[in-house]
Amino acid sequence: MTFSVLLQSIISGMLVGGVYALIGIGLTIIFGVMRVINFAHGDIMMVGMYLTFFLFTLLGIDPFVSVLITMPLMFLFGALMQKVFINRVLSALPQNQILLTIGLGLIMSNSAMLAFTSDYKILTTSYSSSSYSLGGISISQPLLISFLITCAITVGLYWFLMRTDTGQAIRATAQDREAAQLMGINVKWMSILSFGIGSAMAGTAGALIAPTYYIFPQVGSAFTLKAFVITVLGGMGSIIGATLGGIIIGLVESVSAVTISSEWKDVVVFAIFLLVLLIKPSGLMGKSRL
Amino acid sequence: MKSIHPLTSIRGASAVQIMFGIVIIAALFAFPQFVESPYALHMMILFFLSTLMGSSWNIIGGYTGQYSVGHAAYFGTGAYTTMILLTTKEIPPWQGMWIGMFAAVIVALIVGSICFRLRGPYFVLASIAVAEIVRITALNLTDLTKGAEGILVTDIPPFKIGELLITDFASKVPYYYIALVLALAIILVTWLVQHSKLGYYFQAIREDQDAAHSLGINLTIWKNTPLVISAVFTSLAGSFYAIFIKFIDPTTVLPLDLSVQIVLISIIGGIGTIWGPVVGSLVLVPLSEALRSNVIAQWLINSGMVDAESGTGVFLKEHLAHAHVLIYGILVVVVILFMPEGVMGYVKKLAAKKKGGEA
Amino acid sequence: MAILEIKHVSKLFGGLAANSDVSFEMTEGMIMGLIGPNGAGKTTLFNCITGYYPPTKGEVIFEGRKMNGLQPDAVCKLGMARTWQKVRPLAKMTVVDNVMVGALCRTNSIKVAREMAMEQIRVVRLEHRANFLAGGLPIGERKKLEVARVLATNPKLLLLDEVMGGLNPAESEEIIQLILDIKQKGKITQMVIEHDMKAIMRISDRIVVLNSGEKLAEGEPKDIVSNPEVITAYLGSE
Repeated sequence: MTFSVLLQSIISGMLVGGVYALIGIGLTIIFGVMRVINFAHGDIMMVGMYLTFFLFTLLGIDPFVSVLITMPLMFLFGALMQKVFINRVLSALPQNQILLTIGLGLIMSNSAMLAFTSDYKILTTSYSSSSYSLGGISISQPLLISFLITCAITVGLYWFLMRTDTGQAIRATAQDREAAQLMGINVKWMSILSFGIGSAMAGTAGALIAPTYYIFPQVGSAFTLKAFVITVLGGMGSIIGATLGGIIIGLVESVSAVTISSEWKDVVVFAIFLLVLLIKPSGLMGKSRL
Repeated sequence: MKSIHPLTSIRGASAVQIMFGIVIIAALFAFPQFVESPYALHMMILFFLSTLMGSSWNIIGGYTGQYSVGHAAYFGTGAYTTMILLTTKEIPPWQGMWIGMFAAVIVALIVGSICFRLRGPYFVLASIAVAEIVRITALNLTDLTKGAEGILVTDIPPFKIGELLITDFASKVPYYYIALVLALAIILVTWLVQHSKLGYYFQAIREDQDAAHSLGINLTIWKNTPLVISAVFTSLAGSFYAIFIKFIDPTTVLPLDLSVQIVLISIIGGIGTIWGPVVGSLVLVPLSEALRSNVIAQWLINSGMVDAESGTGVFLKEHLAHAHVLIYGILVVVVILFMPEGVMGYVKKLAAKKKGGEA
Repeated sequence: MAILEIKHVSKLFGGLAANSDVSFEMTEGMIMGLIGPNGAGKTTLFNCITGYYPPTKGEVIFEGRKMNGLQPDAVCKLGMARTWQKVRPLAKMTVVDNVMVGALCRTNSIKVAREMAMEQIRVVRLEHRANFLAGGLPIGERKKLEVARVLATNPKLLLLDEVMGGLNPAESEEIIQLILDIKQKGKITQMVIEHDMKAIMRISDRIVVLNSGEKLAEGEPKDIVSNPEVITAYLGSE
């Protein structure tokens, strides 16, 4: 293996890692505010992928432009999910919350299977396989665009949480729900908002990888697992942690694919996951906070 | 004083209950003498298998409160060990299954040593991660497992003790009896657990680990014990499944979906009770089979609600069968939202309400 | 002979000392009161003694045996049992089942454990609740259940962490009588954390006062109430 192959894999790992980070951020916001681990996260992403696919094939909207439609729609989807289902189990056992989200995920993926069959769909754009060449290293065009969009969204979200009143109210709710409520923050509304944001992030991630990934109803579960690894690695509830975690996992996957083998890369990821759980369960960025 | 009520729990079983139990067991043993339909036998076998899987999980998940969402690992270990030994070493399944159980115990102890340091959602995540590692390993160790291609056997060697032929596995009847015995065995084991020190210690850990620890309960021993019991029986279920279906691959015996389905059997019936997984299986098996075998689509068409030739009719016939897992999703959402104690708990509550109303 | 010796026990969390250099001894059959303002390190000391945390420095010696490094379950088996400041009933189990879990530390037989449990339930006068779910009990009865459960482990040394907290005067009086009855029988030594000064003065043979993790004073109740440092610590912190 030459140095350039390694460098190539590092770059594409970083680019994919950016999208992973987006999925992780969504999960971490939901966990941070509600302490609910969302097992339907990958399935929400899957919904975003199909949405993008049909916007492209039926209406001819470019996948990267369709983010503008996908994001608000997925926000509403998540907000509705929180209001109708998750809200009822906020004080239940964590196990029951997990099972509820598992159930919702199964409903989503199997409904998608009913509606769209289990065939793999591929979204081919004019630039799907085009790439920039830089000193012998090729950078996939769709991956690069999605990475840049991810960066913009992450910065925007960070600004929203740090600088706006609503963002601060969300962070206060994440820190101490009861205290936030005493301070007059509408905690219920913040929960709906956070689940909305979380699923908007997942849906957007789905839109961004749609041009480079197979689209099928069961695609979600692999990404749900990845999202867990990313958020646990970064520290449940930490946005910076999830961003770092996403990029690390992207790197680990692509580097272990070339150094070990692509069949075993997921084992490497899960092994890292278990190690983090055992050695530093609070993750890279410490205890849960937004 | 709110929600305070005595439990009218009956210690031991009354004579009527015992009689009732004996009649049911006798009827189950006599069933194949009267019913020859392979489809009916098949359904009963699936019901027993589901009971076996659900009850096995119930011991670690329901009684001990450690929600493993990685039980496919033990199921797959049993299934693969049995099949590999049968196809490569010609070791018959009734010997292979013991080695499968042993292998599952080793997997369980590895899982235990990693996962039991973690609590709550972290335990759930770790159990999933371990099971996924097992699945990917089975997928990639192609020399041993044939990878994604799977392992197929055409003939199961006849079961002989000495020269005496017990069965040649020509029909579904021997499978029926094996599955029935396994299901009865796990119910008996659950009963024994509940009525012994094990049950008290398992439940104490479920209710409050720290309190349990301070009352002299060694958490390492008393979490691994139920896990090993659970893994052994789940592995048996896997071995049985392998020789019953005669084909296994990582997507049928090791996926995350299977782990989830195993959990749901008890959740839907009612966790931490002897009969919960049985009730859960009674609900789930017929429903998912009805979807899988297209009975529902056929019924919708026959009833005249949907025209067979119409787009919807064709669509339902083609696709409803693939979505049988949908029913698991809907059921679990309904159960968690409206009957968090499972069907058993719900029925008990209804009964208590009715009683209260009359009194 | 001392049943329990605490020798220079310190417990650090990060850089913060929750206990520093605490030493005292307990003789068999006595009641030792452990008092101090909030955050003085009383519960931390309990946790160090019963194996929940290893002490950072120092030794805990029970019946001449060094306890450092033993897990809570082993500590319990050796005869040291504790209750929790915030009660921890096994909510979905009945009162008698809760107490049986304690008794099963000494027996493998369900039948024997049930008899042992009923005996302790009678001691704390919870017979009428025996078949109720522990999670549904009011706080006073939960505290009693907690005591019955640790008594069932057949301890030599009982560590009671605010068993009167949150109780009304009548309920507190019942618990005081219970503690005094246990002492009367002479088999069990007790260490009691309590905020109610009147109660602790009444029941204790000796009192140790903790303040900011350090031992401020030790002595008989009458000496403690007149100790100027103790008075300052309490007045200063309120």
